Amino acid sequence: MTSQNALPTSRRGLMKWGLWGLGGLMVATLPKAAIAQSNMTLTFNANDEGILNFALLLEELEAAFYAAAVSSGKISDSKELEYVKELGAQEAAHVTFLRSVLGDMVLFETADLSFNSAGLNAILKDRNTILNTAVTLEDVGVHAYNGAGPSLTNPTYLLAAGSIVSVEARHAGGVRALLGRPTTEPDSDRLISDADLVASLNPFKGRAYDELYSPKQVVAIVGSLGILNNPINGSLVA
Amino acid sequence: MKTRFNSALQTLQFNTQSMVKSAVRSLLLSLKSTLIALLEKINQQSLIKGMAFVLPLAMLFLCVGPTPAAQAQEAVLTPRQVVEYALTLEKLEADFYRRAVAAAQNGGLAGVPQAAKDVIVSYGQDEAQHVTDLSAVLPSLGGNPNAIRIPTNPNYAAILGRDPFANPADFLLVGQYVEDLGVAAYKGQVQNLLAAGEAGKTVLAAALAIHSVEARHAAGVRFLRNSLLGADVNPWISANASSSEVIYNENRMGSPIPFSTAAFDGYATRSEVLALVGPVLTEAPMTNRPTPMPTPQPSTTQPPTNNSPRALW
Repeated sequence: MTSQNALPTSRRGLMKWGLWGLGGLMVATLPKAAIAQSNMTLTFNANDEGILNFALLLEELEAAFYAAAVSSGKISDSKELEYVKELGAQEAAHVTFLRSVLGDMVLFETADLSFNSAGLNAILKDRNTILNTAVTLEDVGVHAYNGAGPSLTNPTYLLAAGSIVSVEARHAGGVRALLGRPTTEPDSDRLISDADLVASLNPFKGRAYDELYSPKQVVAIVGSLGILNNPINGSLVA
Repeated sequence: MKTRFNSALQTLQFNTQSMVKSAVRSLLLSLKSTLIALLEKINQQSLIKGMAFVLPLAMLFLCVGPTPAAQAQEAVLTPRQVVEYALTLEKLEADFYRRAVAAAQNGGLAGVPQAAKDVIVSYGQDEAQHVTDLSAVLPSLGGNPNAIRIPTNPNYAAILGRDPFANPADFLLVGQYVEDLGVAAYKGQVQNLLAAGEAGKTVLAAALAIHSVEARHAAGVRFLRNSLLGADVNPWISANASSSEVIYNENRMGSPIPFSTAAFDGYATRSEVLALVGPVLTEAPMTNRPTPMPTPQPSTTQPPTNNSPRALW
């Protein structure tokens, strides 16, 4: 996460990388100083506020990915394009909701996120890469929400997380089905092995369960995708 | 049906501000006896036919409450009670898929494509795994998994008013109803498990790990309905979903969580789920028992008998 290329900082550069939706928002709502990439460090504390902000980060990544996938022009099948657009809209709705719930507790604006152009290009290479990356992002999102759930203390936040995570699971199942992959996640697809799962969070494991990943494990997976330049730290992900 | 109405009434009574509370309550109470009489009539018909009428009505009543309610306003269940309830639903789901596997071998589902058969087998294995693992957990909570029983022949015909294993369209529609309801049922318990504190943490983790897998199943069944049958349905639940798409109160109003939008799934309380599942948790009348042959069943459904295992709770 430390040596990614600098992102283009101009409006034109953002458009070029397919983030026209994000770029438009940033240009419309933020001063020029904010558009210049600061590589703001994202610090998530181990409390409800930190968890919701961490969820917001994942939703921002998903929303940006789907917007870029639509703009890439690499998805030509009408049903696949419909899915990618609809999933992007739903992730954007999650972003809006979480920002609204967090209010003053929001740790970062959309414009504070610095996307890595080479990393984005890699996952937008072609139709297969885009759809399989969608599966990875959705599967990880499910594991991440599940893993954060037992740490939440506010019951409304927990219900909201539950309301979102089953939709992420539907996304994962839907895109998997489009690709002819099983809608549940086979153990062979899982990015955290049985041995590395946090035992206290995972009384059950295997295909019949979406195991609970710790925020630290999720950060490592997100880092491996190479799409975000911002350093991530804080007690939640330590 | 009575249970669901009472639940809606309680929710409303809980939520209504004191200024309007007494007026609304007296209006509701006067409507209640009429409605219950009506519901009992509807209960003579099929579950789903009744739903089409009852759900919009129940939602109308819920909409009256001006106060946001982000929680299920019901008695808090203990982790043991949640597991017993979940185990009942999982046993039913596992049994449902066992019958579907049989129908896919030499019954009404024999003609479905292999991909759909694979899904049936796979989802059935998942539900059976949930039964096995929840059964293993229950004794540590003081419960007895063997005491959680479902009928030998659950009355699945109560759902559509006919044998759901006779053809792919009926089976997949019922599968969608069952899986979506399963997702909502688990979601309806997360706050109860949180309320139990440390004592609920393990069951909460287990419930979350199951909950999203049920959502994957729901998505898969919905995908099959669309791709095999051309049904106008997506892996996710539509915004403002109709009662023909989901059988529980998916678009719950008055919450800070926008359940009626496609990006947010609704929940169902235990009493809401049991009101829907109750007719299935009765022994099927002989005439309605699924047979291995694709014989069309008469669409007359017997009303639920009085040997419902709901007394378990």
